[in-house]
Amino acid sequence: MAVDLSTLDYGAIARTEARRNRENKGVFVLMMVLSIAWLAPFYYLIVSVLKSPAEYVASHPLALPSGIMPLFANVTDAWVEARMGFGVLNSLLYGVVGAGVAVFIAIMAAHGLARYRYSGRTFWFMLIFAGTIFPFQMYLIPLFFTYLELGLLDTRIGMILFYTAICIPFPVLVMRNYLTQMSSEMDEAARMDGCSEFRLFFSIILPNCKGPFIALFLLQFTWIWNDLIFSTVLTQRVEVRSVMSTLQVFQGAYADVSQTVVMAASLLASLPTVVLFFVLRRHFMQGLQVSSN
Amino acid sequence: MTSPHNMPDADLRKLDFSRYAEQERRERRRSMWTALGFMSPAIVLVSFFLLYPVAYNVYISFTRWRRFTGFDEWGGLSQYQRLLGNPNFSEAMANTIIWVGVSLVLPVAIGLFIAVMLRGQKMEETAKSIFFLPRILAPTAAGVMWFYVYAPDGVLNSILSLFAAEPVSIGWLYNENTITPSIIVAYLWQTVGLAMVLLLLGLAAVPKDPLEAASVEGATRWQIFRHVTLPLLLPTILVVVILSVLAGFTVFDHIWVMARDFPGKRTLSLTVYMYVEAFDRSSWAYASAIAVVLGVIVLSVTWLQVILQDRIDRMTK
Repeated sequence: MAVDLSTLDYGAIARTEARRNRENKGVFVLMMVLSIAWLAPFYYLIVSVLKSPAEYVASHPLALPSGIMPLFANVTDAWVEARMGFGVLNSLLYGVVGAGVAVFIAIMAAHGLARYRYSGRTFWFMLIFAGTIFPFQMYLIPLFFTYLELGLLDTRIGMILFYTAICIPFPVLVMRNYLTQMSSEMDEAARMDGCSEFRLFFSIILPNCKGPFIALFLLQFTWIWNDLIFSTVLTQRVEVRSVMSTLQVFQGAYADVSQTVVMAASLLASLPTVVLFFVLRRHFMQGLQVSSN
Repeated sequence: MTSPHNMPDADLRKLDFSRYAEQERRERRRSMWTALGFMSPAIVLVSFFLLYPVAYNVYISFTRWRRFTGFDEWGGLSQYQRLLGNPNFSEAMANTIIWVGVSLVLPVAIGLFIAVMLRGQKMEETAKSIFFLPRILAPTAAGVMWFYVYAPDGVLNSILSLFAAEPVSIGWLYNENTITPSIIVAYLWQTVGLAMVLLLLGLAAVPKDPLEAASVEGATRWQIFRHVTLPLLLPTILVVVILSVLAGFTVFDHIWVMARDFPGKRTLSLTVYMYVEAFDRSSWAYASAIAVVLGVIVLSVTWLQVILQDRIDRMTK
């Protein structure tokens, strides 16, 4: 017996369709509202840095600026008068040297942990990894007193040493997994040919770590750049301060004078992470897509 | 010549195996020294700059600080007794618990809501970038910006004034009832994006078949979410919850920057309380005890995570 199509409830199918459509439209509107709410602070930030201090006071905070020229004056003021220049250059130094040396040392340590067989490996790994599990508040007071005693307080070398140390444990964790999975055939061949352990690391292991090295370097650089608490505790002079503590000090000192300059300073302080995000955005979103397939 | 195969069993036992064992041991010892050579810079730096300070901090919390003798005077548990008797500590603890409670629920709830709503929509890519965007600002920079948004003559009040009969000038960051919710809003604005991305990754790993089956059967969006998506997403949710809770316990930058002019800022969280007691009031030993309490809490949460993770791994296998 053939199915009698006329008895099917087409109305019900249509009703389900209509409900789904209504739902989708609702979701769309809701997401639009949320997106606008999320973007509003950025709008405010951008509009503010494009106004001169006088224009900012005279107009509504959300009004469109009359031009873009005040941006340069604001950024110059932030760089020179707010001393953000020192902060930016210091943080560049701390970030590049600290993260670079830390990731290099971490790869060396991971090599020792992952590619040799001996007892006590777990102990050494736990020892290094223990450096990440405590809250920062537990470091502050002892570091402050030890640095005071050693004359490292308020020095660039002191900042670099600490940032290097704190950026080691996490890359060790990542690189240990990476190097454990890497095949050891090349090592054995090299050892047969009389290659020293030192050369083995530099000519075979290290060149194979380029990808993770860059990724970990960017991650740790961003961490050092964004750090506020350690720079606030370990530095006082404006010549040594990191960009974030310079910004934080500036926020108070000039609070009533020119919000446009403070906003420009905030933007300046976020510049590296903003650039990184847009340069790596495709990479990042591709990463998301790959894992969704 | 006799081959070993023809030899009686007993002869094998006479072979000098200890020589091979000795060689193996020597090899391992050599491996260990080579490996230690590679690990030594990391071990030295981590021990001196991270582990030694933690141990020293615990020691300091059992002392009394004196101006000229430093931390020589043993104080036993006196700092911890002071903590328990101090209403400021209770208040800082209560506020920290508020932060943790909020971090336990809101990033996951909002992130999950956005992730589930976005999934499979045409605007997914654009919206994903929009919600993640605040994360590209440094926490300090975001805090400074929101500081001005919340100012009495700031942008939030000027928007509210449009809807009110008279100009609004609420000091959002100067009133103890509004300051914590205000900072939480700014904090969520910056952190929900990461929770969303992690949850979207988790969602992407959820198999599509059960979802489609449920949809064909005429299940509503909510039913599909509640009975199909949510159970499959549980491991990801756990990771996001633990990350958020740890961040909630240790949030500092946002509060420090936005509460800079608030007179009662030291009780806004344990992290700020510790900082003010140490570096503004020089109560070094007392502040060390606060740091130890914070450390015990953070380690417990991490330990709980390991246990839960283990249980979920076993459940899904």
